[in-house]
Amino acid sequence: MTIEITRPGKNSLTLETPMMPASGTFGYGDVYRDFVNVEKLGAIVTNPITYEPWNPAAGTRVVPLDGGILMHTGLPNPGLNKALKRYRNLWTMLPLPIILHLVATTADHVRKSAARLDGEDSIDAIELGLNDDVTWRQADEFVRAAVEKTDKPVLVRLPLGDANEIADAVQDAGAGALVIAAPPRGTARDPITGRLVSGRIYGPLVKPIVLRMVGQLVRRIKIPLIGAGGIHSTQDARDYLEAGARAVQVDSVTWVQPQMLEIIGRDLGGWIVTRATDALPDEWYPGMGDTEREKQQKAQNLSSTRADPQSS
Amino acid sequence: MKQTEAIIERIRRINTDYQHLELAYDAAMGKIKPGHSLLARLHDHYDPYLRVQWWPVGLKAGKLLIERPAAERYEPGQIVNVIGLVGQPYRFRRTLRNVLLVAYDSPPTPLLMTIPWLLGNNISVTIVLLGKAIDYNTQHLPPEVEIIHGDADINWSNAVMTVGWADQVFAVVGHDDESGRFQRLMERFRELRHEVPQQYLFGVFQNIIPCGAGACHACMIKMREGTSLICTEGPAFDLAQVVLT
Repeated sequence: MTIEITRPGKNSLTLETPMMPASGTFGYGDVYRDFVNVEKLGAIVTNPITYEPWNPAAGTRVVPLDGGILMHTGLPNPGLNKALKRYRNLWTMLPLPIILHLVATTADHVRKSAARLDGEDSIDAIELGLNDDVTWRQADEFVRAAVEKTDKPVLVRLPLGDANEIADAVQDAGAGALVIAAPPRGTARDPITGRLVSGRIYGPLVKPIVLRMVGQLVRRIKIPLIGAGGIHSTQDARDYLEAGARAVQVDSVTWVQPQMLEIIGRDLGGWIVTRATDALPDEWYPGMGDTEREKQQKAQNLSSTRADPQSS
Repeated sequence: MKQTEAIIERIRRINTDYQHLELAYDAAMGKIKPGHSLLARLHDHYDPYLRVQWWPVGLKAGKLLIERPAAERYEPGQIVNVIGLVGQPYRFRRTLRNVLLVAYDSPPTPLLMTIPWLLGNNISVTIVLLGKAIDYNTQHLPPEVEIIHGDADINWSNAVMTVGWADQVFAVVGHDDESGRFQRLMERFRELRHEVPQQYLFGVFQNIIPCGAGACHACMIKMREGTSLICTEGPAFDLAQVVLT
């Protein structure tokens, strides 16, 4: 099964599985090697990279919320040149497409970065990350700056708040696909320091908000959409695909349940039909014992009985 | 690193504030050393969302001892999903004779796993409790450990002698202002000792760790040369090398 996740063309990006980890959640590709079989994923999206190096944010980085977290890292990274030098060999060796997440800081930096990445064989596509305050004019300028300097597909991750407004401009500027959306921004009080902290919100509650946005955009946007936000199960991912997304990005569940990433990838990638009839639960659901499996099956049976009272 | 399951076999209330969980764990996680920790998850739902960092304080008949506040409820037989081992072991000098452990506005829990190992190697251990840490009940600690109570201004009796005599110092501080407290501690040590050498005063960082694998970069700190991740390269860093802001 192959899925074309960018607009058709000679350089379009095709994946074996319509899922990938979201930028900022999977490092640069090697940190989860002990937990996740990357061959089950469709692609790897790198942590955010800027043209010049960025330092970590000062102060509180993580604020626990009810059923989620607020996080502010400052997107620390070594800069484009050092990142390429450090990870080029790894990316070349990984058996799946690599999408480099480039933070759009200025049009000039985007232009220079795209030109630098155009001849980079270890990278298959660029995901341009737009900040939350971007106007549609700036978004248009950033995307044009990228596509004029590279033949590689340029995916654009939109800020959730303005996705509706910016999507048309980004599509017209030549984006290969839209990633809907960057984690929403919020402010919360840090219970340890008592200070208010602003950052991005992660957790299952993000999904309904983003899913609605995907449903709205898919009616009028002609290029592929990739749904991203709050996916914590295979069913969550399928909800995005049902809403019209061509693929999905899985974010913070990777931190709390790393093996869930592989399970979602395997189930969406059609690997589920290959399960051996005598496979033990541990083989099929890594880390899961018989008791846990039976508990899940009971819960599933119960919910299907409730959904269909005639069957009882 | 590995994601696996562990079983709480016994629970022992060690004093009014803390309990020790005896954890049967998967040996495939690797050999646990002082400095390592686990990220634990006790439930299937996502509230609380993140895993909790569990600091081992010792090994007892092949079981791991985890120190948790007495107010938290656990049951024998309870299964815990754990990710481990998080972090790197503390880097002790080869020629070590005296170690000073400092807890400043924080329980000394992340430092306690060092005690059996150090005492077993005939290395003397002194714990200095400062600020809010003076409330920490030390009755369960081995009698060979010297315990000194200081004040919130980082003063304690015979401070000059204690600091001069120590070959290495490992410190934990309250994490509401970890950087500021480490800075104050560093300044105090500079007053107490003519020169604070490299690889002498180590800060054990206790930031909230979302991933434990080096993916999210939420625990990145700035060093004099580049950056480091607390979850994969820490938790202990030579404070002379950390840029404390």
